[in-house]
Amino acid sequence: MNWNASDMNLFLQQKEYIDTLVVPLIKVETVEERMKASASSTDFLMNLVDYIELQFKGRIMVAPPFAYTPSMDVHQFGEVISTDLTKSPFKHIFFITTDSAWTSIDIQEKVLWLPSIPIENMDDRLKQSILEDQLKQLLPRFTEEWIK
Amino acid sequence: MSSKVSRRQFLNYTLMGVGGFMVSAAAMPMIRFAIDPVLASADGGDFVPTDQKADDVTETPVRVDFTIKDRKDAWYKSDVSNTAWVYKDGDKIIALSPVCKHLGCTVNWAGDDTHPNEYFCPCHGGRYEKNGKNVPGTPPTGPLDQYEVEVVDGLVHLGKTMPNTLV
Repeated sequence: MNWNASDMNLFLQQKEYIDTLVVPLIKVETVEERMKASASSTDFLMNLVDYIELQFKGRIMVAPPFAYTPSMDVHQFGEVISTDLTKSPFKHIFFITTDSAWTSIDIQEKVLWLPSIPIENMDDRLKQSILEDQLKQLLPRFTEEWIK
Repeated sequence: MSSKVSRRQFLNYTLMGVGGFMVSAAAMPMIRFAIDPVLASADGGDFVPTDQKADDVTETPVRVDFTIKDRKDAWYKSDVSNTAWVYKDGDKIIALSPVCKHLGCTVNWAGDDTHPNEYFCPCHGGRYEKNGKNVPGTPPTGPLDQYEVEVVDGLVHLGKTMPNTLV
């Protein structure tokens, strides 16, 4: 499910099945030299998140991406979102990001960190298989949480 | 009766003629619009070529990815990636849509080790038999959709999805 009105309607009717929220976290770099890499990893993350949504449409809702700039305190940012999201009806909440700063933060939500892969120059087939591989690695993280 | 057209008759004819013309001017487009769907030429389905050779298809479903180029959704143009599970039933090639009938997740053939000869939906454990028939007692309420299949030059071409005809 995506965070739009029609999917949300379906979610509200099927709350017992759609119980997982995936929140993309995106670091927006402001220094010129790092902007390319930042855009590339955003591209990768959003493509991956779209693919996750396609595969798990009936169980996972993808939240709009949360973005932050370098000076923002990730720790505090994470805690605030985390506190708010625990009030939501979702049973399982995952943060997904390519920013390694999140790996050292201790929050209630599961943080799925993956290194960014520059997919922008790949042809569709290769891109597809890369995304598949990434999802295959993430899948156990989802299922182990679901069977709890 | 005189053969001369009286003034009254002449006016009647003229009025009828003009009136008839006006009515038909209004009615013709309406009729044309009404029968338009009938006249529309059936464009031979939008079949999309895949890389799958028809001869290589076996009785075990294989995943076939294909891309619909330049799909137009109003002004938004995009390439849509799609997947099908393709297998052979006798001489017929069957292509099933991987979209779970429960809430739209993507199902996989032999996705669950305990049910190796079924499609499995990882979201809520929905299962389907090889022909797409949903296994009772699992969440899905209907069978998997089917693609229209055509073989052109030995390659499998897939068309639109339609309700399952095998179950």
